Amino acid sequence: MTRHSIRSAIVVIGVLLIFALAPDPGASQTPAAYTPPRTRDGHPDLQGVWQALNTAAWSVEDHPATLGVPAGHGVVDGGVIPYQPSALARRNEHFANRATLDPETKCYLPGVPRITYMPHPFRIVQQADRITILYEYLHAVRYVFMNGRPHPPGPIDWWMGDSRGRWEGNSLVVDVTHLSDRTWLDRAGNFHSEAVHVVERYTPAGPDHLLYEVTLEDPKVYTRPWKMTMPLYRRQGANNDLLEQEYDCYPELLEQEWEKPDSALFGRP
Amino acid sequence: LGDVAAIAVCIALPMLVPIAAVAQALYPRDAPKQPGAPSWARERAALPPFTPPRTPEGTPNLQGRWTGPNGGDDIEEHDYVDVSSPPEETYISDPPGGKIPYQPWALAVQAQHRAGLARGWPGEKARLYTDPQTFCIYSVPRATYRGGFEIVQVPGYVMILYTFNHYYRFIPTDGRPHALAADVKLWMGNSRGSWQGNTLVVDVTNLNGRNWLDQVGNFFSEHAHVIERFTLADANTIDYEATIEDPKVFTRPWTIRVPLRRARPAGGDTYADEPWENACHEGNEATEHNRSLGFKWFKGAAVP
Repeated sequence: MTRHSIRSAIVVIGVLLIFALAPDPGASQTPAAYTPPRTRDGHPDLQGVWQALNTAAWSVEDHPATLGVPAGHGVVDGGVIPYQPSALARRNEHFANRATLDPETKCYLPGVPRITYMPHPFRIVQQADRITILYEYLHAVRYVFMNGRPHPPGPIDWWMGDSRGRWEGNSLVVDVTHLSDRTWLDRAGNFHSEAVHVVERYTPAGPDHLLYEVTLEDPKVYTRPWKMTMPLYRRQGANNDLLEQEYDCYPELLEQEWEKPDSALFGRP
Repeated sequence: LGDVAAIAVCIALPMLVPIAAVAQALYPRDAPKQPGAPSWARERAALPPFTPPRTPEGTPNLQGRWTGPNGGDDIEEHDYVDVSSPPEETYISDPPGGKIPYQPWALAVQAQHRAGLARGWPGEKARLYTDPQTFCIYSVPRATYRGGFEIVQVPGYVMILYTFNHYYRFIPTDGRPHALAADVKLWMGNSRGSWQGNTLVVDVTNLNGRNWLDQVGNFFSEHAHVIERFTLADANTIDYEATIEDPKVFTRPWTIRVPLRRARPAGGDTYADEPWENACHEGNEATEHNRSLGFKWFKGAAVP
């Protein structure tokens, strides 16, 4: 290839990149522009089967591909989690020992927000005074109470926390407290303490997309509140509108480990 | 000492649950016989015809929280066993007589299960298996006839939300067929619902046969097909039937039939009507304990 043709190729690629990066004027995917259908109760209808399609389950920050791990851009606004120095050291220790320390390896409930971007679908069902979220992963169920009650007084150590929701415009805003310090944020050891306060925002961005924004505040671990943003996609196709199968992690794991005398699975959690 | 410790763990674990899980009753030796299918047949026969209320979609309204019979440790009729197992009627309405119509090989396997429980009963042999439910496993239809769940109806679907370890079923009632390959096996199976008159009929396939039907090792195999029927017998009672077909294990189809009663409205606490977290596997000390006692992992009965 001549120098000239290389230069031409670079120009062509550059033009293609500009097109690829420019907003598509035909897409009406911005939350402000989209008016979602309403439920019988008059609220935005978020119902259906949704799934994140990214690599946040492996790491919510930018990460390279390694054996069995797809490379990915992070979902953290600003790129990195604002850890306090001691917390960053602990995260790094988690990462080094993730094969045994990650609670996912014991099939424990993954907490919020981790369950949202596990590589498994979930279903949102809206009822009069609560929103029920059915997850394929571990057949986890979350009740987002819409009855106006405040969080119950703590401390309560719940794997999936206590979720209280409200509508703000077209957004479902879920306030989550009483989360456990035993859950992580991803397979890379990112974490929070039991003091974490999570606020999720689900906003219809089109008939088949939700914008998912989640803010984490934890004065024991982070220097300031921080946020993750990602789209959630509606599952398409025959029978993909159901959570047709279960991901029952722990019976499979227990069976696999049952007869291993030195299994790391057993013993104190 | 090991067995005493096992019982202590079983009694202690529910007390660690922060919210009202169903308390494990302790039954005296002279406890009255708990009602099952025969009592329910008599009660049902005396009930006047009932026209169920309807949802806005026009289907019978089964919504609410439902509880099951108190026992169910052994779904066949049995005498007093121990403090956790009072005498009970059979849960089986068909065949008459209330016994599970096992083929001879399967009856022998069930006897092995029972003899390996190490519960301190006469005739027991070496430890074999613990009831898989000990390890937070649920399955259909056991999850349903034990009660402790909420039914929610949304257009085109019936949702059953079980309290125990947050199991759920999301059952389409729009007439779509089962759509899973036959060799895909699931703990809770694949459910398809339909309304026949006032009855919700749920057809369940793809079951893995790796849980038991009760604590004493009654079982079916991965070839089972279950048909459940939910009918309101009065405003506060579901007449629940589960017919189990498994030509590899039984000589004929047979049916469990018990009443499910509407749970009393929760009183007192502001939050009493909210279903709160029921995490079972996380920190389940019974798992480690049973493993250390030498119980094996039940992988389903070996069908000859």
